[in-house]
Amino acid sequence: MFLRLVADSVTRRPRQKLLTTAALALGMAVATAALSVSLDVGDRLAREFRSLGANLLVTPQADSLPLEIGGVDYRPVNSGAYLPDSDLPKLKTIFWRNNIVAFAPVLEVPVQAWSPASKNVSSPGVVKDVTLIGTWSQHTVTLPDGGMFETGVGKTNPWWHIAGQWFVENSKDCIIGAALAKKIAMKTGDELSVGARDHTHWTKLRITGILSSGGSEEDAVIAPLAIAQQLAGKPGEYRQLYVSALTKPEDDFGRRDPKTMKPDELERWSCSPYVSSIAFSIKQVLPGADVRIIRRVAEGEGRILTRVRILLWLVTLAALLAAALAVGASSAASVIERRTEIGLMKALGAGSGTVGFLLAAEQLLLAFVGGGIGYALGIFLARVVGEKIFGAAPEPSLLVLVLTIGLAAGVTLLGSAVPLRRASRYEPAPILRGE
Amino acid sequence: MPALLTKNRSMFWRIIRRLFESNRGRLFVILLALAAGAAVTAALLNLQVDAKRRLTTEFRAFGANVLVTPGPDPSRNWSPTLPESLVSSVTSALMPPGGRAVGLLYALASVRVSKLHGPGAYDEPQGPVQAVIVGYSSDAFRELLPHQTIEVSQPLGYETPLCYLGINVARKLKANARDSLVLDPWNDCFVQEVDSFGGPEDNRIFVDLESAQRVAGLPAAISLVEVRIPGTARQIEQAAASLQRSIPSAEVRPIRQFTEAEAKIYDRISGVLTATVAIVLLLTGLCVMAAMTNVAMERRNDVGLMKAIGGASRRVLRLFLAEAALLGLTGGVLGAAAGIALSIGLGKAVFGVAARPRLIVYPVSVVLTIIVAIAGAFPLRRLTSIRAASVFRGEA
Repeated sequence: MFLRLVADSVTRRPRQKLLTTAALALGMAVATAALSVSLDVGDRLAREFRSLGANLLVTPQADSLPLEIGGVDYRPVNSGAYLPDSDLPKLKTIFWRNNIVAFAPVLEVPVQAWSPASKNVSSPGVVKDVTLIGTWSQHTVTLPDGGMFETGVGKTNPWWHIAGQWFVENSKDCIIGAALAKKIAMKTGDELSVGARDHTHWTKLRITGILSSGGSEEDAVIAPLAIAQQLAGKPGEYRQLYVSALTKPEDDFGRRDPKTMKPDELERWSCSPYVSSIAFSIKQVLPGADVRIIRRVAEGEGRILTRVRILLWLVTLAALLAAALAVGASSAASVIERRTEIGLMKALGAGSGTVGFLLAAEQLLLAFVGGGIGYALGIFLARVVGEKIFGAAPEPSLLVLVLTIGLAAGVTLLGSAVPLRRASRYEPAPILRGE
Repeated sequence: MPALLTKNRSMFWRIIRRLFESNRGRLFVILLALAAGAAVTAALLNLQVDAKRRLTTEFRAFGANVLVTPGPDPSRNWSPTLPESLVSSVTSALMPPGGRAVGLLYALASVRVSKLHGPGAYDEPQGPVQAVIVGYSSDAFRELLPHQTIEVSQPLGYETPLCYLGINVARKLKANARDSLVLDPWNDCFVQEVDSFGGPEDNRIFVDLESAQRVAGLPAAISLVEVRIPGTARQIEQAAASLQRSIPSAEVRPIRQFTEAEAKIYDRISGVLTATVAIVLLLTGLCVMAAMTNVAMERRNDVGLMKAIGGASRRVLRLFLAEAALLGLTGGVLGAAAGIALSIGLGKAVFGVAARPRLIVYPVSVVLTIIVAIAGAFPLRRLTSIRAASVFRGEA
C-alpha cells in the first residue's frame, strides 16, 4: 500500500515531479562539476607549474666555491668536485620517483670557440671566453628495474626556444646561444670548433640550432654531456643536476627541519611530497651531493597553488550552498502544495508520522533520481572544462558520487522538513473545506 | 477614463499585495531561492574580477622578471657596467606602480671572517677565500631574490654595513650570522643573515653597493638592474618595451623562465576560475528557475479564479509576471548584498586582503535575478489557456 501510494503520487502529477527532479538534477550538477574541478585542479596546476622548470638543484658537497659572474666561471679549471652520472638512474628509485618529472645533469666547461675559417687563434672569428654547457637533450635513462625514462634539458628548462633542432645524443652536434651566434656570425648548419683552454682537447661541432632563453645561456655553446666531459677531461662526471618534481605546497609542517621531528612526525613528513622531503630522499640516493630547493621557483609555486586551491574550494562551497538552498526551496514548495492531499490522508485516519514518512520517501526517491542525473550532467561539464583548460578530463571519482547523492538526500529532506512539520499540525477539516 | 485607469492600477497593486500576504511560507521559500542565487552570483562575480588582479600581484613571489643589462656599445663593443644613476631612472620609468628595481654590482673579492661571537670568538680570522660579492642598491633585493632564511642575527646598534651570505659561502667560510667579514682589503661588514636561494646566489655575498664599488674599484657603477614588473604577460611586455625606450643605452630583457610561466599559469588559473564561475552561475540560475516554476505551477487555482470572474488572460499574466519581477528585485537586492559581504570575507580568506566591492556587480546580479525570476514564472503563460471550469472541478 505504501509503495503504491508513492508510485501513484509520482505518476499522477508527472510535470510537478519532473520540475522538482530537474531542480535537483541541476543543483547536483553544480555540486558535482564544482567538486570534480576542485578535487582535480591542484594536481593539474602542479603539473602546469612545471613550466617554471626545475625546482631542485643538486651540486657536489665538496665543491669549491663557484666564482661565476654573468654565466662565466672564474674558477681555475679542474678545481672543485664532480658527481658521477652513473648514479643518476637511482633518482627514479626513490619513494617519490613518480613525482620526478624530469632531470638533466650539467657540466660547464670554459672553452675557446672559433669558426673553421679563422686561420689562427688571433683571427677575429675566435672567441676566448665561452662556456660550453654539456647536458642531455633527449636522453633515455635505463632504470635499475629495467624501465626506461626519457628526460632532458628541454623538460627542465621549458622556456628554452630552439630555432632549428636539438642536438642528438652521442653526436658531434651542438646548439649555440643567440647572442653568441650574433657575435661570431654563425648560423645553423655551420661548423664550430671548440677547444679546452689548456689546448689539450678540441673538437669540431655542427650547429643544429640557435637557442634563445633570455638568460646567460645565450652566450654559451650547448652540446651533449659526453663532449663536455671529454673536453674537461672528466669522463662520466657532472657538476649540477636540475630536477623538476611535482610537489605539494609547503605549509608550516613541511618547512620544519626533519632533524627536530619525532619518528611519527618524520614518517608523516616523508610521506608528503613536500619539495623538502623530495630533496631529502634525493640526497639519500646521491652520496656526496647537496640538494638545494630552488627557492625562486618553489616559493612562488607553493604560495600560488595554496591560494588557488583555497579559492576554488570556496567557490565550490558557495556553489554547494546555492544548490542546496535552491533544491531545498523547490522541495519545500512541492510539499506545501500538497496540503489538500495531506488533509485527506489525515481525514482517512493516517497519523502524522505515516504522512511524513510517505512524503519523505517520495522526496528521497526524487533525490536519488535527480542526484544521479545531476551527477552525470556534472561529470560531463567537469569534463568539458577540464579538456578545454588542461587538455585532460578529471577522473570521475566515486567520492563525488557518494557526496552528491548524500547531499541531494540531505537537502531534500531538510527542505521538506519544515513544511512537513507544519503539515503534521494541519487540521484536516478546514483544508478539505478549502479554507 | 483616467479615473478608471487609476482604479485599475490600485486594484492591480492590491492584488499583488494580497498575493504576497496570502502564503508567507511560500513567499519565504521563493525569496530564499532567489536570494541564494543572487548571493552566489554577486560573490562569484566580485571575487572573479578581484582574484585575477590579485593573482598577478601574487606572482611577485617569483622575484625579478626583467633584467636590465649593459647593451652593445658601438665604441667599445661590450661595455661591462652601467651607471648607478640608471637604477633611479628605471624606478621612475616603471609605470605600473608596485614595480621594484634594484641595481646589482658583481665583483670578485677575497674574504676573511673575524669571529666576534660564539664558539671560536676572538680567534684568528679565517680565510681568505675567493668569492663573488654582490653590491645591492636597495633592500628591495630581498624581495626580488626569493630565499629561505637559515640564520638571522639581531640588528646591530651601530653603523657597520650589513651583509647577507649565501649558504655555500657561509659553509666554506664557516661563518655564521653575527660574525664579521673582511672584504679585501679594508671593508668589513656584519653578517645579518645566512640564506638559501637554491641558485648561483648561494655562492655569493650580498653587501651594500658602496662597499662593492670600493672593492671592485668601480665607483658609481653597477653590473645590471633586476626589475619586478607586476601585471599580466601583456602588461609586462609593454612595460619592458617602454622601459627600453626610456633607457636606450641599456638592454632590457624579460626573464623568460618567469614571464612565460607566469603567463601560462595565469591563463590556466583564470580559465579554471571563469569556467567554474560560469558553470555555477548558469546552473544556479537554472536551479532557481526550476524552483520558481514549481511555485508558479501551483498558481493554477488563482489563475482559474481570476479568469472565472472575468480577468483577461493578458492582464492575469501581467499580474503574475509583475509579482515575479517584484520577488526577483527583493531577492536580488537582499542576495546581492549578502553576496558582496560574502566575497569580502572570501577575499580575506584567500588573499589576506578583502576583495574590493565592485559597484557594477551589484546591479548586474540584481538584474540577472529578476530575469531568472520572470523566466521562472513564464510557464504561467500556458496557464492562460486554462479553462476556468476544469480547474474548479479539480481536474488536473
